Amino acid sequence: MTHDLAPQLFNGLVLGAFYGIVAIGLSLIMNLTGTINMAHGSFMTLAGYLAYTMVQRGMSFWVALIVAPLIVVIVGVLVERGLVRPLYKREPFYSLLMTFGLSLMAEEAFRLIWGPNGVPFSPPPALAGAAALGFMSFPTFRIFIAGVLIVAIVALALFLTRTRFGLRLRAAVQDTEMIAALGTNTQVLYAVNFGLGILLAGIAGVLAAGMLGLSPTSGNALLMPAFVTVIIGGMGSLFGSIVGGLLIGMAISLTTLFIPAASEVAMYILMAIVLLVRPRGLFGEEGIFG
Amino acid sequence: MSERPGALLDISGLNTNYGKISILRDVSLSVNAGEVVALLGLNGAGKTTTMRSILGLTPPRSGSIRFEGASIEGWPAYKVARLGVGYVPEGRRMFKDLTTLENLQLAETGRSGDWTIARVLEHLPKLAELRGRKAGRLSGGEQEMLAIGRALVSNPRLLLVDEPSQGLAPLVVEEVYRILGELKGRGVAILLVEQNALLALKIADRAYVLDSGKIVYAGSAAELRADRERVRTLMGLSDVVA
Repeated sequence: MTHDLAPQLFNGLVLGAFYGIVAIGLSLIMNLTGTINMAHGSFMTLAGYLAYTMVQRGMSFWVALIVAPLIVVIVGVLVERGLVRPLYKREPFYSLLMTFGLSLMAEEAFRLIWGPNGVPFSPPPALAGAAALGFMSFPTFRIFIAGVLIVAIVALALFLTRTRFGLRLRAAVQDTEMIAALGTNTQVLYAVNFGLGILLAGIAGVLAAGMLGLSPTSGNALLMPAFVTVIIGGMGSLFGSIVGGLLIGMAISLTTLFIPAASEVAMYILMAIVLLVRPRGLFGEEGIFG
Repeated sequence: MSERPGALLDISGLNTNYGKISILRDVSLSVNAGEVVALLGLNGAGKTTTMRSILGLTPPRSGSIRFEGASIEGWPAYKVARLGVGYVPEGRRMFKDLTTLENLQLAETGRSGDWTIARVLEHLPKLAELRGRKAGRLSGGEQEMLAIGRALVSNPRLLLVDEPSQGLAPLVVEEVYRILGELKGRGVAILLVEQNALLALKIADRAYVLDSGKIVYAGSAAELRADRERVRTLMGLSDVVA
């Protein structure tokens, strides 16, 4: 069993990076506007299906990997402007219910368009097979996924810490009214921020479709672990989301190896332990985007 | 009240509510270019609400607000700011997790003028020393200076300054008022809200006193300052300091 440990740990890291990136998208939106986006998983699924259709119609996987998330961003910004924005001044409960309803509608729409069952979405030939890493061999597509997710996370961190727009976003999370009084159009901030969260969901959605399969409910299946990730990492902390995601991924992978029957509950047990020790989550006190 | 030609800021018949509660009732006031105008009154008189109404943070129910001739009532705050209205809020409202420099950079919204970050740091050298420090770790006085510097970076024609002496030691208050006096000397118009009436009247050209949302005094600051009995009557004994 121990010779399975290394690949299983790496599997856990890749899975954890998925949870982390979805959780970051959720956190971005939640931190700035208080919106708990229950439709986040639907945006992931939509990106997966769009990429699937593009590849079916002869486009390359690489084009689909870029174009599908961008289309989903456009849909996301339209949703933000038309449906979410009117609810900003109300209790968060309203936007939670609205996005929950939206996710149910989206799920039915996916069933109508792409059928109720899963569809096969394989990685391109260049990413098929396994790569030898010396002490173990590992599926090439999963290594590629790890690379893309790391690049996406680093790019986001640079955007938030090195650009003027990122600076305004970090400030707006602390005091939206004051940033407006200093001359920043907060409506534009909200839209870009929402789009950014959806972009991460879109990228994760296309990659997840190739790794975990694609069905009308596949995105929503990633949503609950992502919420648990946000709670473990600590509300408002981008870094916490990454750490939380990796911890959950590892916990699930290791329990799958040693106690398969417990793999489903592993993340909830981890969450309970973290909350008992630190009720704000691991990095919940360190400030927004910490 | 009719429009005052030439006024930088001209407010007429302003009524503002919080929900169903009426806060400002038929408030009219003006600020001319280069002038310091004190807006005085007890806690809850409506001073901060007047500023929030001008900025569009609490849009008025009725009345007109003209800035450099443009009707700005009900405009979103970012548009009012870009037009040249700087805000130094009560309690400073720093972005505590950002550095001094980052707080200043937030106010760079493209309005051109004399005030750049470099110039603000040159003018307020204490801020230059603290440029890399998180705003949350600055003292109250340093935060007040940063709040003023931040408002200046946007090159305002009018500064709305709300309770700048609040919670500061007397020496620091002196320094803050010295800076406000310098800005006045450079031609920046200031609408100054202050509970410490006599302190504000020292640098103000004109003054208004608000009581329960209504203007009960409008006139010369020097005259009001000279008549302490009147200040006491208008402001209540406990609020006459300095």
